[in-house]
Amino acid sequence: MKKRMIARVMAGIMAATMMVTGVGCGKKNDGSRKYQIGISQYGEHGSLDNCREGFLAGLEKAGLKKGVDYEVDYQNAGFDDAIATQIGQSFSANDVDMMVAIATPSATACYAAAEDKDIPVVFTAITDPKAAGLTDGNVTGTSDKLPVEAQMDLIRKMQPEAEKIGIIYTTSEQNSVSAIAEYKEKAGDYGFTIAAIGVTQQSEVTQAVDTLLSEQVDCFSNLTDNNVVGVLASILEKTNEAGVPVYGSEVEQVKLGCVAAAGIDYYQLGIQTGEMAAKILKGEASCDDIPYETISEYGIYINSTAISELNITVPAEITDKAIETAE
Amino acid sequence: MIDLIISTVTQGLIYSLISFGVYITYTILDFPDLSVDGSFPLGAAVTAVLLTKGVNPFLTLPIALGCGALAGLCTGFIHVKLHVRDLLSAIITMTALFSINLQIAGSNLPVGRATDTIFTAAPTMAVLGSLSLLMRKLIVSLIIIVIVKIVLDLYLKTKSGLLLRAVGDNRTLVTSLGRNAGNVKIRGLAIANALVALSGCIVCHEQRSFSATMGTGQVVFALATVIIGISLFKRLSFVKGTTAVVAGSVVYKACIQVAIHIGLPANLLKLVTAVLFLLVLVLSNHKGEEIIRA
Repeated sequence: MKKRMIARVMAGIMAATMMVTGVGCGKKNDGSRKYQIGISQYGEHGSLDNCREGFLAGLEKAGLKKGVDYEVDYQNAGFDDAIATQIGQSFSANDVDMMVAIATPSATACYAAAEDKDIPVVFTAITDPKAAGLTDGNVTGTSDKLPVEAQMDLIRKMQPEAEKIGIIYTTSEQNSVSAIAEYKEKAGDYGFTIAAIGVTQQSEVTQAVDTLLSEQVDCFSNLTDNNVVGVLASILEKTNEAGVPVYGSEVEQVKLGCVAAAGIDYYQLGIQTGEMAAKILKGEASCDDIPYETISEYGIYINSTAISELNITVPAEITDKAIETAE
Repeated sequence: MIDLIISTVTQGLIYSLISFGVYITYTILDFPDLSVDGSFPLGAAVTAVLLTKGVNPFLTLPIALGCGALAGLCTGFIHVKLHVRDLLSAIITMTALFSINLQIAGSNLPVGRATDTIFTAAPTMAVLGSLSLLMRKLIVSLIIIVIVKIVLDLYLKTKSGLLLRAVGDNRTLVTSLGRNAGNVKIRGLAIANALVALSGCIVCHEQRSFSATMGTGQVVFALATVIIGISLFKRLSFVKGTTAVVAGSVVYKACIQVAIHIGLPANLLKLVTAVLFLLVLVLSNHKGEEIIRA
């Protein structure tokens, strides 16, 4: 009796899994061939959302229509690596035609899950695909490497007197570590010194801000570091009080209150990724033919409200080409 | 669809090694061992480095076990010899391991597809070469888990294993037997963390990567699986605790897979998982009572 009860519970769970996944499989065989695309996004995050929306726009731009030519199974791991793994495996089990991975942990998980069936993986929002081991095999995508030099050039023009740039980064984020290295290497060319503080988790960020403020940095510059950007609002509260400007690394951060940024537009990056994906889906190219791409153009974004509060005068050459994000 | 069940069960099996570890510390030793969050990625970090250096993939298994045991020894030493409270000593080890893991691996470390893992190496291919990678992962993990389970069950029946159980239940008894309860505790922690690191090792083979954050939340996961497993089987006395926690781990992973497939927004994923757990727990309790009444 008891044994049967246990069996029933287990069977119920398995049946639920089958039923739910069965729906996913059923879509595939309704006559006309639709591409099944599984999108795995690491977490809810403004830039990552922009990537995804840009990606879908990119597919559209390449002539693929949602519901007619392709269907999307969008999954979000909520910043949990183990869940990212399971998402990749469910895509593989459903035999999707392509996995699209947004941010490194999701890409790694999809890439591992795709190994058996050799499903193409297209990633985006990864700074250093080579370091993440995503350059060989049926995998390609776009990198969101920061335009470090452009950012320092921008800071120099906005704050001609500035000497010391403070940067907070997470030591375990590969993207951030390589960006810091580039900052330090090139800071001298622009007459800056870099004061970088590494943190291991989000709760340490505010302490790092206090430390940098006490070191009299002239400004802060952000990376695309998830931990740090996640608490940007509280960073800005402290820096605004101290009268120190913060430069963002992409448009969403400037909207939040950073004074300016030379950064990539994740929506554009998504479009670029979508167009790559369309080529692969249509069979016009394979991942091997398309090495990963880095966005060459970056935008200058400014927030006049934040700028006026900090009494910075922006030279005309910047205001002319900058995109205003303050509302 | 069958693929999905295979991969879900595989995940459950691989992660059940963490549950074994927590089963030892939490259920048997009555020790709140949070160092799991550090020893799990430790196993993966060591494995990733060894694999990228071209070490035989099967050799990574005992090395990861050894490293995990060292981590457990640390927690035990801090607690027993330095007289730090149990919870704190585990937290100290966990915190230290975060840095140590990064120091070992440098940064998050991928293992390229050209590198052989235990699922693709020559000995595995010689026996299971005709099967898909998915099946190989299932079978190899199953073999490892069965071996670990049998060895663990046998160990718990030995004198040393019985002492381990005695320390958790009745410390005075152990002391009255003329044994040093502290040393028994240290041994238990070493075994538990060795198993947890082994789990990290296999996850690294399976995921082909080490990430510094992969340990976050593993203690909570393992506690849930131990509790689910034990409640599911608590009325079946012939089912060993070790079998129950493996089942608990598979059920947990199945719950998450179901939640993913219902297609709910990410923000709700954990909530749904929580509700599913509750359902499993309540169902197993409720039905059990009915049977007793009947």
